[in-house]
Amino acid sequence: MSETLSTPSTATDHSDEGQKYHAFINLAMILAAITGIELVLVYLPLNDVLILTVLIVLSLFKFIGVIAWFMHLVYDKLLMTLAFGTGLVIATGTVIALMFIMDQRFVDFEAITAF
Amino acid sequence: MSAEAQNHDSHHGMMIDNKKLFMWLFLGSDCMFFGTMISTHLIYRKLYPDSFDPTTLFSLELTSFSTFILLMSSFLMALAVSAMHKGDMKGFRRNTIGVIFFGLIFLGCQVYEFTEFAHKDLTLSSGTFGSTFYMLTGTHGVHVAIGVFWLTCMYFYSFTGKMDPHESAVDVEVAGLYWHFVDIVWIIIFTAIYLIEFV
Amino acid sequence: MSSTTTDIPAPAKTETQEDVLKPQKSNLGLLRPDHKKNFIVDLLTTVDHKKIGIMYGLIAMFFLVVGGIEALIIRAQLAVPENDLISAQRYNQLFTMHGTTMIFLAVMPLNAAFFNFLVPLQIGARDVAFPRINSFSLWTFVAGALVLNFSWLVQAFYELGWFVASDTSVAAGKTDFVPAIGWFGYAPQTSTQFTGIGTDFWIFGLQILGISSLSASMNFVSTIINMRAPGMKMMRLPVFTWMTLIVSLLIIFAFPAITIALGQLMFDRMFGTSFFNVADGGQPILWQHLFWIFGHPEVYILVLPAMGIVSEVLPTFSKKPLFGYSIVVFSGAVIGFLGFAVWSHHMFTTGLGKVATAAFSLLTMAIAVPTGVKIFNWIGTIWGGRVRFAAPMIFSVGFIWMFMMGGFSGIMHSAAPADSQQQDSYFVIAHFHYVAIGGILLASVSAIYFWLPKMIGKMWTGRLNIWVAIITTVGLNVTFFPMHFLGLIGMPRRTHTYLSGFGWETYNMICTIGAFILAFGILLFIVDIVLCVTKGKPAGDDPWDARTLEWATSSPPKFYNFARTPVVAARDALWEHKHGPENRKITYVEEDSHGIHMPSQSWMPLFAALGFIPLGIGAALMQAGVPFMGYITILGIVIIALGVALWALEGPGGYHFHPEEEAT
Repeated sequence: MSETLSTPSTATDHSDEGQKYHAFINLAMILAAITGIELVLVYLPLNDVLILTVLIVLSLFKFIGVIAWFMHLVYDKLLMTLAFGTGLVIATGTVIALMFIMDQRFVDFEAITAF
Repeated sequence: MSAEAQNHDSHHGMMIDNKKLFMWLFLGSDCMFFGTMISTHLIYRKLYPDSFDPTTLFSLELTSFSTFILLMSSFLMALAVSAMHKGDMKGFRRNTIGVIFFGLIFLGCQVYEFTEFAHKDLTLSSGTFGSTFYMLTGTHGVHVAIGVFWLTCMYFYSFTGKMDPHESAVDVEVAGLYWHFVDIVWIIIFTAIYLIEFV
Repeated sequence: MSSTTTDIPAPAKTETQEDVLKPQKSNLGLLRPDHKKNFIVDLLTTVDHKKIGIMYGLIAMFFLVVGGIEALIIRAQLAVPENDLISAQRYNQLFTMHGTTMIFLAVMPLNAAFFNFLVPLQIGARDVAFPRINSFSLWTFVAGALVLNFSWLVQAFYELGWFVASDTSVAAGKTDFVPAIGWFGYAPQTSTQFTGIGTDFWIFGLQILGISSLSASMNFVSTIINMRAPGMKMMRLPVFTWMTLIVSLLIIFAFPAITIALGQLMFDRMFGTSFFNVADGGQPILWQHLFWIFGHPEVYILVLPAMGIVSEVLPTFSKKPLFGYSIVVFSGAVIGFLGFAVWSHHMFTTGLGKVATAAFSLLTMAIAVPTGVKIFNWIGTIWGGRVRFAAPMIFSVGFIWMFMMGGFSGIMHSAAPADSQQQDSYFVIAHFHYVAIGGILLASVSAIYFWLPKMIGKMWTGRLNIWVAIITTVGLNVTFFPMHFLGLIGMPRRTHTYLSGFGWETYNMICTIGAFILAFGILLFIVDIVLCVTKGKPAGDDPWDARTLEWATSSPPKFYNFARTPVVAARDALWEHKHGPENRKITYVEEDSHGIHMPSQSWMPLFAALGFIPLGIGAALMQAGVPFMGYITILGIVIIALGVALWALEGPGGYHFHPEEEAT
């Protein structure tokens, strides 16, 4: 009974492996193209803030592309997204909070390490 | 490597494979792991913006190449998992050996990069930049190396005949999840540690 | 995926159980250690969550006593002014090891003991999702505990003149071989300039314990999500199981921060990096942030299981369902999540800047809301119930009161200006000991009184428990209440000794007397456990007229837990089964022909976990310049890798068992 219950997600996959193949190959090409764009972008004489924003958006796009399709999140149960998403949200929040809290604009580090 | 999870009747629950859930939880945990290291790097980089100029050291061409290699290995990994689901053992082996090969190229690039930097006097003990840079990229490299080792084991295991496509699909998928995660971490590192320096 | 159910032919019904239950060969060709008569071999290789839980519990009790003795020596030293019972160095080592031992080697494994024993029973499962990983977690914990406490042996060797750190090592000239840096190991005190290899033992011990906690937690989340019996919906889970789920998630997301922080510290000490090295631009404050990003969720990791225990005990002894079940569960989740957003309240006095201080202060106050909600729910549960003051109930009621006292002083800390007065004073000591002893310990004692009859199948004898309750509660208040005053009149924590004339003498003497009263209470509790084990009468399946699924099976439960898988029709399944309407009774899944599938025992988790011992001890001793220790460290890594590889290759195995002859 265990095998019939625990495999439906993989068992039903087989019919659309072909469809997935196209999704994968498109994604791979897009990822390669984005990496190329990024490489060119940093050398362009544009506004720094603009470039940074575009860079962050592009890498987020790559990030989401890989977890959604290569890692099957779009095909899988929502709970997986939740399990990973919780970690991702907590980690992102912590990174952002740390970046602010360890910033010279807010904290006088010289005063802390002076003695 | 086969399904310990289904050992004893997993009756109800959410009908998710135990191993897959375990791996996703591990990856969620690993987000925090890399998040801590990336923030350490960025914090020190922001605190001491003038202590070190990485643009003289980094070769964006090389790093872009290894990023490309890692992305393509991820693509092959997705194909390997797909092949295993279809029961196509040959396809699985062909794609897996590709992943291993690309993974080794990535590691080679990293070793080359590290030795190059070390020659130019960036070492673990040469200030905060060296410490955070080597620890972050080095830990990522160790993740890649573990992935290569894991997949190599699987590749050879597939010749023993003990690997049944139906049974082992989940094992391959779990290894694949790990490999893709290593890839997405590199996507972040590439932007946050390398590209950003050239803006 | 179906290997195990197809590989092994279902035994014909005519065969006897003994014929079937022969150990089989693993994929490596080695005999699996199943069905061994040898007790020690059975314990070392077991994958049974109940045995693993009991072993966790025994080891935790041992370290509770060790940590308690350390505390008593500290209190004896502080009893009178200018005491020189122990040296300042030994004092530092004792309070460091007291904190580390109590948190990582006593409370966390005690919680793990209950998780292990209870969660699969409460959700109607045969075992956890990954039985061999469970065994690995246990032995990794043992390895970490050994590495941490090995430092005492090295210190003893030093005192006997058998061991000194070599002149060229980082520990040259240093005589502290036991951690002496406080349980949160603030930089830069942990740098090689200031401390010897005690710090290395601490780094490696904690790192190994972290691996154990992480693997156990991922296992428990998988178990609770996936292994529930039919009908056991998420909102029917017992609250203790819910708290286990939340705590496991907290561990999964909080421990990586300390793993990295410890890794950076290790790099600083071993490879000369400059993460926390002030001379090269490192910021010691970063250590505090990284530590408390882990450390604050850790506080909830310690206390949420206690809340789960109380939420099980109070309804049982009030003969009422838990008041506001969904709110209690939701509050637990909110506490857990907010726990990640308040870490800097441990650092108000470091100068975070106005915005950060205000934000963390506000969020900390916000955490009081879900906690208060829980307290009101517990009181609501007792309200109007038919209350029986059996031992578990006495301690749970004690928990509510004592934990509230700790909570009140906690809210005082959340106001940053007040906190800057209380920071690093005995007021803080009073606060977290009310939470730790008044909260966590009382709840754990309550849990042992409640569940030990289920674990060993014997009922408590006599009324010693009343005395345990009175003496521990009196002892804890006599010890820690005066510390509030001590803190407010200025006695700093972690102080080796003090001069007379500050008005501290009387309070300190009272605290010391209280500590010995508390210790006597714990001793009586251990005596009570021994009496129960040796003289207890059979407990029966359900001695407390309880509510959840674990009481539906025999005491102690058979190794397969339930002869047939229960089908749950309601929250508080057993209570509804006993007293509810017909349509809410527990039914059982029809057994299929090949019987119960049980996981095989294995040597490999033990083998892999033992590799951590040479890894940790070798790396620490290497820092003291002991020859060949680098090789020992590498040997440890090789053992771990080999263990994991053999584990993967041996295959999960498993056998079928027919419980029908024994089933009632």
